[in-house]
Amino acid sequence: MTESNRPHDQFAEPMETHVAPEEQTGRLPSSEQRDPRGSGDAPVVPTHEDDLTAPEAPQAPDRDSNEEVPQNIVDQTRKGEDPYLWHTGLKRPHGSTEAVEFIDVYKSFGRNTILNGLNLGIPDNQISMILGPSGTGKSVCIKHMVGLLYPDSGDVLVHGQSVPNMEDDQLFEMRKKFGVLFQDGALFGSMNLWDNVAFPLRQHTDKSEEEIAAIVNSRIGEVGLAGATDKFPNELSGGMRKRAGFARALVLDPGIVLFDEPDSGLDPVRTALLCELIKEIHDENGGAYVVITHDIMSARRVADYISVLWKGRIVEQGPASELFDSPNQFVRQFLSGEAAGPLGME
Amino acid sequence: MTGRTWLEVPKEWIASFGEIVKFGVRVIGEVLTGRVFGFFGEGLRQAGILILGSALVIFGLAFILGLTCGLEGAYFSRSVGAPAQAGIFSAWCDLREVIPYAWGYMLSAKVGTGIVAEIGAARITDEVDALEVMGISSMTFLCATRLFAAIVVFPFLYIIAIGFGFFASYLAVVEQIGEVSSGGFFLIFWMFQNPPDFLYSIIKAMAMALAIVVVGLYYGYTASGGPVGVGTATAKSMVLNTVLVHLIGMLGTQIFWGQDPRAPVGG
Repeated sequence: MTESNRPHDQFAEPMETHVAPEEQTGRLPSSEQRDPRGSGDAPVVPTHEDDLTAPEAPQAPDRDSNEEVPQNIVDQTRKGEDPYLWHTGLKRPHGSTEAVEFIDVYKSFGRNTILNGLNLGIPDNQISMILGPSGTGKSVCIKHMVGLLYPDSGDVLVHGQSVPNMEDDQLFEMRKKFGVLFQDGALFGSMNLWDNVAFPLRQHTDKSEEEIAAIVNSRIGEVGLAGATDKFPNELSGGMRKRAGFARALVLDPGIVLFDEPDSGLDPVRTALLCELIKEIHDENGGAYVVITHDIMSARRVADYISVLWKGRIVEQGPASELFDSPNQFVRQFLSGEAAGPLGME
Repeated sequence: MTGRTWLEVPKEWIASFGEIVKFGVRVIGEVLTGRVFGFFGEGLRQAGILILGSALVIFGLAFILGLTCGLEGAYFSRSVGAPAQAGIFSAWCDLREVIPYAWGYMLSAKVGTGIVAEIGAARITDEVDALEVMGISSMTFLCATRLFAAIVVFPFLYIIAIGFGFFASYLAVVEQIGEVSSGGFFLIFWMFQNPPDFLYSIIKAMAMALAIVVVGLYYGYTASGGPVGVGTATAKSMVLNTVLVHLIGMLGTQIFWGQDPRAPVGG
């Protein structure tokens, strides 16, 4: 069994031949061409060199065939013998600049390593989704973007600026670029819906109450909560709280909007409606939207760009249309929600 | 060695206490440097909550304990053949010990735990993170505003609570037992206390209040582990505050009245 037969090596050939429009014109504008481990402008190559030294490389199927993965490979992943067997780190071009970039980020909590050499790019003016099984570090990613957590090593760049190296004042200023929708909305319990949405405007702008009222009413109207402005968070349903959180996240016209599992706790219809809302508002306002989820239906509905995260590293990332056709067995299993495949219950 | 050595437990206590002190200094700094005035409205709202939520309970407790002090003092002074001296017991009991301790207990139970629960709940429902990502210092908005409210409101509440205690003692000694006239009671009552005693009592009570609020803020702000974590933090704050109330009470009595009773008792 040769090293070239390892599962992720099957992608080496298409990556080398995949040329982005910018490359064809001789420009290398964004980090999709950058080796995430810092080797400059080298073409994208699989980055999991640890695997190259593994003694028993399993036989991978032909990437163009629908052949099932041999059971020994699946078993090897499920038993945890090599948890990064499927992590090619492949980063397909997205044709945009990067709003947020993770460069070789490591983060541990006690003995639990959550991010384990994460390299991730979030394209500007697209809806990106970070998908992955529960407990793989998706929410930890969001907290790194806004400087609520700092990496143990590595760097997080927002519009090219290093978040871990910012002073407190710079950090608070940088955070104004972000709108964040937390899982349950994170509305302030002491304020009604209207005041919750108005709060960032009152804190960060010199607008008059009339101007604030116009903006707030507009945002609340967009999310369909015009009739509930005087209600307090504990009087709202889960879906209403999320929509209110969405309105609050948008009120300062942020360039980057983060959604932490917007579909959690919602029924399928309301999830679909929320996804539609995210898409509509993104079409109107633009900016980098990042949706953290493990709901595949949501990904199919709204994602322009998808990053699959598992065990603290990117398995693969690329435009949604390409990733849903990915030959990577892990990505394929996850994006189709099948039980059979490398991802088990562990 | 597999187990923990006996020294590790006290070491952890000291480390935790150091963390609380460091946190407290930071929050006090937010108030003293005036950053809290960026959220003056929130500070006033917290002051309103303290007044509406705690004042009646504190006054009620002070009144009941004042009655008790009056009664016990009246019967004790009768037992030694000096019923006219009942005011001594009322003066000392109310001003120096019982009202400050009652104040400390009530603040620990009502205000301290309330702060832990409120801020802890905000922490586990991501409200603290939501503030931070909006570019607003959660430390200032959640903690400094509450400390500011306590500094504004507590001295007045305490002074009024002392008034309730005094009035209750007067009712018990003069109106209920009735073995001393109103003038006789007040003659002795005021002879055994003076303005510095009043100031010392306020200092003692405010030291308790500051400790209780800082401990509550610390345990609330650092709460983790979901609702169970908030419950655990609330219980821990109550235990520590109870200990601190007694330590401060004992130290206050020793410092202010330990060397000099500040009363005409001779010797």
